[in-house]
Amino acid sequence: MTDQEIIECWQGEDAPLLPILQAFHNRDDHITEAAIKTIAASLRIPLAELFATITFYHHFSRDLPGKNAPRVCTGNVCCLNGGTQLLESLKAEGATAMPCAGRCDDMVPVLRGDKIYVGQDADSLENRPTPLPADNPGNAEECVFRHIREEGRSQLDGYRYSGGYCALESAIMSSRKELIDLVIDSKLAGRGGAGFPTGLKWKAVNEAHGSPKSIICNADEGEPGCFKDRAIMDHDPHALIEGMTLAAYATGARRGFIYLRYEYPETEGILQRAIDEALNAGLLGNDILGKEDFHFNLQIRRGAGAYICGEEGSLLNSLEGKHPFPRNKPPFPVTHGFENLPTVVNNVETLASVANIVRKGAAWYRDLGLGEHAGTKVISLSGDIQKPGNYEIPFGFSLQTLLHDWAGGPRAGRTIQAVTMAGLSGGFLAADDLNVTLDEACIRGRGSFLGAGGIIVFDDSRDMVSAAHDAMEFFAHESCGKCFPCRIGTQRLTERLNGNDKQLSLENWQEEVDDIGSVMKATSACGLGMAAPHITESLQRYFPEAIKSHLKKN
Amino acid sequence: MIAFKDKSSGTVAGSLTIDGELIEFRDGETIYQIAERCRREVPTLCYDERLEAFGACRLCVVELEGIHNPVASCTTMADDGMVVKTKTEALEKHRKTLLEMVASENSNLDVDPLSGYASQELGQLLSRYNANNGRFAGNKSGDSNRDDKNPFILRDYDNCISCYRCVRVCAEQEGDHAINVMNRGFNTQITAEFGNDLRDSQCTFCGQCVQTCPTGALADKKALRASDLPGDISKTRSICPYCGVGCAVDILTKDDRVVGIHPAMDGPANEGALCIKGQYAFDFVHHPDRLTKPLIRQADGSFREVEWDDALQAAAAGFSKVREKYGRHAVTGIASGRAPHEAAYTMQKFIRASFGTNYIDNCSRS
Repeated sequence: MTDQEIIECWQGEDAPLLPILQAFHNRDDHITEAAIKTIAASLRIPLAELFATITFYHHFSRDLPGKNAPRVCTGNVCCLNGGTQLLESLKAEGATAMPCAGRCDDMVPVLRGDKIYVGQDADSLENRPTPLPADNPGNAEECVFRHIREEGRSQLDGYRYSGGYCALESAIMSSRKELIDLVIDSKLAGRGGAGFPTGLKWKAVNEAHGSPKSIICNADEGEPGCFKDRAIMDHDPHALIEGMTLAAYATGARRGFIYLRYEYPETEGILQRAIDEALNAGLLGNDILGKEDFHFNLQIRRGAGAYICGEEGSLLNSLEGKHPFPRNKPPFPVTHGFENLPTVVNNVETLASVANIVRKGAAWYRDLGLGEHAGTKVISLSGDIQKPGNYEIPFGFSLQTLLHDWAGGPRAGRTIQAVTMAGLSGGFLAADDLNVTLDEACIRGRGSFLGAGGIIVFDDSRDMVSAAHDAMEFFAHESCGKCFPCRIGTQRLTERLNGNDKQLSLENWQEEVDDIGSVMKATSACGLGMAAPHITESLQRYFPEAIKSHLKKN
Repeated sequence: MIAFKDKSSGTVAGSLTIDGELIEFRDGETIYQIAERCRREVPTLCYDERLEAFGACRLCVVELEGIHNPVASCTTMADDGMVVKTKTEALEKHRKTLLEMVASENSNLDVDPLSGYASQELGQLLSRYNANNGRFAGNKSGDSNRDDKNPFILRDYDNCISCYRCVRVCAEQEGDHAINVMNRGFNTQITAEFGNDLRDSQCTFCGQCVQTCPTGALADKKALRASDLPGDISKTRSICPYCGVGCAVDILTKDDRVVGIHPAMDGPANEGALCIKGQYAFDFVHHPDRLTKPLIRQADGSFREVEWDDALQAAAAGFSKVREKYGRHAVTGIASGRAPHEAAYTMQKFIRASFGTNYIDNCSRS
């Protein structure tokens, strides 16, 4: 394609910058200065601004070897599985490290161009589909994974075979309000980690003034140790599309975007095929299911490597082609979202739950939880555990049961030393605090949070200071650089954990780490900076001896 | 209660309590603006009242009743009935920690005041909080472009604290969008496109970025030539002589030498803005070739130094001669577009009343 053809292909569309950049990146293997000048002139973006915005995304190459040079995952889990050695062995091909690529239930992933290969070493790398969730080991009733293991589920026929799109068909026979009330009644809440009640969000967007409204699916699953959204999208893409279309019906939104992380290239193809199928079947597009004035135009936008773009303000700025700093809140996206218009931003798992909730009823979903907890949560379990993978658990489920009975416990001869919560954002739980139930109330009581549901296991052979260092290094790498506490704090905390701190006494070390942690938690502008100190806090809580010997080593 | 004295300009939107005192506010006011109005001295580093509030430095955080974490007062709109505390022990501790962290990333905290209008802001806050004490030592941020080959703007990013006031003033006030923020986190860097020198960017060298920089990372190269001159800096309020806008400036002098220009933030015409000429083109003042007295051309073509009275007499005689010989319409006046209103008025009056012709125009149309 020529420059002009690429520009013309996207210029009239909503959110054109990311797909244009991706197209140039695909064509030229990197984004050249000439391309940047052409794009800036065509989209009327100041040149310095466009240049700077491109540098924000770590997957956009501006030099050769570019897009096709291997990128090897050196996330926390892959470091346990030999990621660093694999990176070393591919250095001759120009390989570079990338943060967690969301494949922690498999071997180390390597991204080459638009394909993910997994393997233990350079010789065993192969391109293979995302692992399916194993059959529920406790035979617990599921919502999100209810049908995901059925054959052909990722295609429209297979999806319809077990009642797919029935929820949409029945919902449009009744009013928006009834649908919204049902979702409120089900107590479904944001499964990306924030836990905001989904029905209330939809209600706010339905009532907000301004159009066109948008439904945005946050599929930027960037939290290390989280890979649930990938499994849902790869094996049950129509559940997501139906959920988004239901959200569109409930709110009157006409535009939809799936903001997909760069590290899931194959997922883009799967989703696009599913969207095309739905379009052809009249389940998307104009006059959906023959209902007059029910239009929903759904498009995929692929990110380019930036954890912060999972934060909804950054995500919206990124979609709009702006520098992806988080936005100041209020105002919130429900009134001032995409292009400052009312917008629903929901996580993949949240949206993929909706169709089953509509079909089976609010009470059914609520009752899936244990005790007073409503509904289910998909937990991505990885690290030093016999059976890593995605498990759909009822809220309020025992962590020990999940680890030992469902996932087979630690490897032979090992014991579990610690687990992370919320991927990395919740820090570590260890010792007696492993006896928790998986629900926000209980986990928050231990100074952590459940978040998106990523749990990484560390057995007794692991150096926890070094695990904490790698985690903090990730946050420093991904800090956007806008607010001072996070920009400087993540850097200094990484330095305090890297073993080069020769001058500090234990007392000074603790005082500095505490002060940085408390200022980050209290004053950071978004969740990244507020959550990162969980790492150092929990390290100090559970592993004071390890810190002492870490400082002595110096 | 602190109420508005002048009720006519804008409606009162409500009242809130700051540090125990009830204060009225108008629609659109932020907590920071109200606190400033009431002299609470809330510290900031990323705030410039001319720019949209950004919420980066987090020094201006205040406690808001009912909200768990402190909020950035610069980005939080006032609401009726809010109860705000601007100076609790916990807030002051956070501010000190933040300033210690900022001090730890910069290599030079002793900045020459000739660097720019706001260049002392960081230093002053560090002293106020006694925060330059060596805590949190570690890597320094920033990557200097000291060799940027322009005669006006020093780009010493070793002193940069990533408040992005320069980027924002360039975009929001000037509309030039010459610089932006590249990379992320601790590696953020202020840059023109492709890392170019400013000469190869959209920069117009207005110097606004220099004057809003709170650390001297961006500094006035021309003023810094005088950093070794003895004597204190004094400021004299004046009006820029270059055009008719009437930008207010503060002329910086050491003894009898003009060493630099600061835009006047309270200048009614410019509100802190200046252009490249008003900001940097002051060298002519002390130039040896500068004319200091009127000159009259002699018959042999050489010039004779005279007093103003003689010079004006000679000019008047010349005009009269032309009018007598060729008539009143032989004279035309073209007023400078850069002349102020009063001068333009005087010019047309001079042409119409003295010569009796309507041949008067403005260079913008000629």
